Amino acid sequence: MTLIQKLQNIVTEKFASDDIYVRHAYSRNVHPDLQGVPEYVVRPKDAKEISEILKVANEENIPVIPRGGGDCEWGGSIATGDVGIILDMKRMDNIMNLDEENLICTVEAGISWGKLNEYLSRFGLYTGCMGPGSGLTASIGGGISHHSVGAGGCAKYGACTNQLVSLEVVLPTGEIIETGSQANKFSKFPFNRFGNGPDLAGLFCGDNGIYGVKTKVSLQVFPKPPFANYKTFLCPRNSAEVAAQIFTEIRQKGIDVYDAMYIDEILIKLGTNTFGMYPMFEHLKRKRGIVFYVVEANSEQELEEKIKQLDNILLSNKAEELGSEIADGNFAKWHYTEGQWQTYHNCWGIIPTFENITTECFTPIKSFPKILKDIEVWDIENEENMKKIEEIAGFRPISGTGVVPLVDGNNVELTCGFTTFGCYHDGEYHEIIKDINLKLWKSFLTLVLKHGVQFYMMGSIPSRLMVEIGAYTSEYYNLMKSIKKTLDPHMILSRGKFNFWEDD
Amino acid sequence: MSKIENLKKQWEAIMSCMGCGDCGFAIRPAVGRYLVCPVKEAKGEEGFEIWFARGRMNVLKSILEGKLELSKDLAEFAYQCSECGSCTDTCHETHNPYIILNTSKWIDHVEVWHALRQDLIKAGFAPLDRHAKLIEYMNNPDMRNPYGEPKEKKFEWLNDVKGVSKTGDLAFYAGCTEPLRQKETLLNLAKIFNAAGKEFAVIEDEWCCGSISIRIGDIEAVKPNIEHNIEQIKKTGAKKVFVACAGCYRTLKKDWPEIFGQDLPFEVVNVTEVLLDLINNESLKIPEKDTEVIKVAYHDPCHLGRHMDFYEPPREVIAKIPNTEMIELRRNRNNAWCCGAGGGVKSQFPELALDIAKDRIDEAVESGIDILLTECPFCVGNLADSVKKENTNMKVLDIIDYIATKI
Repeated sequence: MTLIQKLQNIVTEKFASDDIYVRHAYSRNVHPDLQGVPEYVVRPKDAKEISEILKVANEENIPVIPRGGGDCEWGGSIATGDVGIILDMKRMDNIMNLDEENLICTVEAGISWGKLNEYLSRFGLYTGCMGPGSGLTASIGGGISHHSVGAGGCAKYGACTNQLVSLEVVLPTGEIIETGSQANKFSKFPFNRFGNGPDLAGLFCGDNGIYGVKTKVSLQVFPKPPFANYKTFLCPRNSAEVAAQIFTEIRQKGIDVYDAMYIDEILIKLGTNTFGMYPMFEHLKRKRGIVFYVVEANSEQELEEKIKQLDNILLSNKAEELGSEIADGNFAKWHYTEGQWQTYHNCWGIIPTFENITTECFTPIKSFPKILKDIEVWDIENEENMKKIEEIAGFRPISGTGVVPLVDGNNVELTCGFTTFGCYHDGEYHEIIKDINLKLWKSFLTLVLKHGVQFYMMGSIPSRLMVEIGAYTSEYYNLMKSIKKTLDPHMILSRGKFNFWEDD
Repeated sequence: MSKIENLKKQWEAIMSCMGCGDCGFAIRPAVGRYLVCPVKEAKGEEGFEIWFARGRMNVLKSILEGKLELSKDLAEFAYQCSECGSCTDTCHETHNPYIILNTSKWIDHVEVWHALRQDLIKAGFAPLDRHAKLIEYMNNPDMRNPYGEPKEKKFEWLNDVKGVSKTGDLAFYAGCTEPLRQKETLLNLAKIFNAAGKEFAVIEDEWCCGSISIRIGDIEAVKPNIEHNIEQIKKTGAKKVFVACAGCYRTLKKDWPEIFGQDLPFEVVNVTEVLLDLINNESLKIPEKDTEVIKVAYHDPCHLGRHMDFYEPPREVIAKIPNTEMIELRRNRNNAWCCGAGGGVKSQFPELALDIAKDRIDEAVESGIDILLTECPFCVGNLADSVKKENTNMKVLDIIDYIATKI
């Protein structure tokens, strides 16, 4: 029996394909140039089918790559090389239970953040952290696999893994486990992540898909407060430093802010003057960095008090409030009322084939301005290579950062990157661009890593880079590897990430 | 000449797709968006990503890079798309003029799908069998319509009407579907004009506008039709030509000038614009003869709405009809759900067209309306087929037919 027949026996013929066009449809993530064409694509319906698929994959020694929304910027849910089975988790997108009493929602892992929140909104609820910036498509399972943030709410609620209650996971060898309160077989419903021994759910949080396939997720959900306000401010000179100071003061004063984000000067300048992305900022005489906040409250009085506290911080740092309407530059209003999950999207496809890929890392608040300054220097140092790309693409690549949100604790998420062009230009494939891109990405990621940041969306490139440049402490890496070997002796799941396989 | 000549011209659009996937999954209540791709949803659980825009774009990237070839198998995927443009709308949509997604400047999925279809035709992998028949009929000198009907039959409706002439300032381009499949709508149109005391000119020896051929990707086949029809319209002396078919509207107003390479010597308008004028200048008075209020909704045809940004005149007409309560469907205007008939889907994949229509009919039934109005004979036909199949009580009518019941 061929492998496709074995897979079709598990999921039926309709849900497993080796068609060349179907395979290419799944060969890229949010990056046109990073490609891995899988040998098979399977759309399983439940954990049992995934368990069977993994058992077959172990027998056949073929890698399996789980794919939620497919929104990883570093090839996190494509094959590493033209091999393997893609598990398209999007068939598993059902809401299984909403426990309105305990405010816990259980879903299949393939559901998107957008779909889940549309459902919850009917009950006056939301997920708090709204998941990654790509959450209209990105899945809950993918978010948990990455500690995702970005769509909103992460200053108040933190990364989406913070609200995790329990997981159902299929281990690489096919066993199905449940975590948290569900580890106790007498537990009637998910209610708590911790207890019953170590936090094994944590093993799978941010694992980038290496330790198991998430199939069912129970999340704490929250009543959406009835009152909200949102303001946007223009920073004075040294915008990034000012923003960092503002974020620090917000934390030090313990103000309950839903979102606080910074848009760097370079993005405002280019986005307004060059690319026409921000008509809302065209009227600004000085194109400097932007800080905005969103606050929520259960009463008008509470809201007013929070606004007063936040405005004091912003104004004492000489930030200048923009008008209340989106047309006046109130990005915060657009972000909260209309633009959910779109806040980062207008950095994509800014000009044709411009590939916006970023590091997606966490770093302490006060460290990010220095990182941005070093990136400016790095950019100048790499002028020669930038010029080579410009000669082909007609536009120089850009280094910098997207929107920088305050996340839980005293951290920000830094989405800094080297935004460059794809290899295909007007009928020709320029291999030289790929060579330069790979070289510069490695150099860029190393620069950022050496600031001590934590990558969270690692895909195959940053996960391997960390190993290659020795960023992990050997003890930590060896523990990760030991766990991987124990759970996945044949390195079936997401083979290639973190260099476990190559080292064997 | 390259086998993918037309796709190569679309390289900027194809390579600018970052693959976010919102063209397959977006749900944004804040802007009225509830899912995107009717084909993907109709395929249901079998919906591999090849069935919506992101997966298709990934395939096209591989074709441009020389890693994949065109084939008959690819044509089977490519033509299972109603070209409704919902993916493009979602891809572009900040829904706010003060923040722009630059992709809106260089990604138009419908144009990309057209390019693919043109290349499939040139490479000999298309048209598919039923599409080939339509083009053959359209070019048959004894037919000149995609239904395979004798040429004369298209003009039979004129035997039953008065108040039409061969010349005049305002001419009516009847198209093929209504004269050959929905004749009653044209009789009702004449009835409305008679009630308003207005005349219009009809076009002698009118041929198919070529919409179906353009959607299939055979541009060459349609050129004689365009030239012939323009000459025939000129003979009427009309300064303005109105159409009562969304497909014809897009084709005359957008495709003809592009293919013909110059502006048309007449203005093209939609029948609802003409009706609105007749109502506003009080030529057409619709009496309040009913006591019962009828609940209606308007289904935006893709070829009028997303393709041509034409949303308000039909709604303004409906608002002027007495005893009529207009309810907006949950997905309306640029977020409207496709009926499933367009892009050659109804002719080649009729079951898929019905599966898509079911989604729209379910939405309309849930809204509690009595009649679903639209302004496209393809939408009327496919939605009515679905109503019949699903055995629901709701009616589907052209706005023309609805007005005619009132006068």
